[in-house]
Amino acid sequence: MSTRRATKKQVRPGGAGPSRRPPPARKPVSGTPAWVAPAAVVAAVAVVIAAFLVYRYYTTAPAPAPLPADTTSVVVAQITGVPASEFEDVGQGGANNLLQPVSGTPLTGATGKPEVLYIGAEYCPYCAAERWAIIVALSRFGTWSGLKTTSSSSTDVYANTPTFTFRGATYTSQYIDFRGVETSDRDQKPLDNPTSAEQQIMGKYNSAGSIPFVDFANRYTFTGATFSPDLLGGQSWQEIADEIRDGSTTQARAIVGSANLITAAICRTTSDQPAAVCSTPAIQALEKKLG
Amino acid sequence: MAGIAVSIYLTALHYAGVVPACPASGAINCEAVLSSSYGVIAGTSVPTSLLGVVWFGVNAALWTRPAVGWALLAWAGAGLLAVLYLVFVEIVQLGAICLWCTAAHVLVLALVLMAVSVRR
Repeated sequence: MSTRRATKKQVRPGGAGPSRRPPPARKPVSGTPAWVAPAAVVAAVAVVIAAFLVYRYYTTAPAPAPLPADTTSVVVAQITGVPASEFEDVGQGGANNLLQPVSGTPLTGATGKPEVLYIGAEYCPYCAAERWAIIVALSRFGTWSGLKTTSSSSTDVYANTPTFTFRGATYTSQYIDFRGVETSDRDQKPLDNPTSAEQQIMGKYNSAGSIPFVDFANRYTFTGATFSPDLLGGQSWQEIADEIRDGSTTQARAIVGSANLITAAICRTTSDQPAAVCSTPAIQALEKKLG
Repeated sequence: MAGIAVSIYLTALHYAGVVPACPASGAINCEAVLSSSYGVIAGTSVPTSLLGVVWFGVNAALWTRPAVGWALLAWAGAGLLAVLYLVFVEIVQLGAICLWCTAAHVLVLALVLMAVSVRR
């Protein structure tokens, strides 16, 4: 009984006697709801991703305006006049060998010569990159005219890659025929349709329908780009032409190296004609690689 | 397990030289992302997706040991930072999104949220 009273005295506030103050009752806190931390993480992630999108929007360069005809002819003359010594020095350079040997009835063109068939589209950045190499390579066998500048889609990967279009261009050669089919413009509006025979070739050698698709007289084909379009990003046509003629640049090693691979495939279809092109050590070495 | 499965799938496709089923033009473009220089660990030919296999594997191991709560949180944080870097690469550097990669990124985020929730 007395013990109970003594205990009561101890807990009574302001009570007399040597009582010890009890630990204060824990003040109830308003706990953070369980959803706050995960929600904060989600919100932070969303803000960061939004910042990436805004940054991308403001740093994407607008599509360069196509060059006027006189400037275009200067650039074309530059890239179609690569000296033989540069082709020899570069070899395969930085190009990926995507060429696949195929078998089928030899493909011939409008004049009965072995045909190089290109199917691509103006919006496609890989086509944009590969056209540089095709133009350089084919200039060793004939003459281009009517090439116009354009750039790949502004909304696709590797946006606005500078290039040329094969639409409206003419190619003449005593060794090969060339046919370039651009199926869409840079805004993905339809342009030209492959013929039914060309569609059959696509179905046979490129069932996935990937572009660019290049067929060398039904002896070799490849799809995709033999170098990354990234190498050409943000540059003008003139800058790329200058880099090609330099020979030591990454762009020259990629484009001229790709042109050498294409040259080797063409030489296989022309019985190594012309000899001045096909008999060089670099082309002979690449022909062996093609199998 | 879904994260490990997606990462193994992407790793296997890399070594098989095959592109996953995914649109290949416009902003959604798995081929552009996976065949870019960021598709492999810098200076190697090891696919970046292999890091995903490791991350999901270690994460699963940490979940089986409740005593390592802080390690789980730190591992989750590291995973989230890696995902943000890869999203930066996709949006800013490449301008293309890989749907399969995004599936893995969402799974990482889900696991991060679970780690944050249980750690409170």
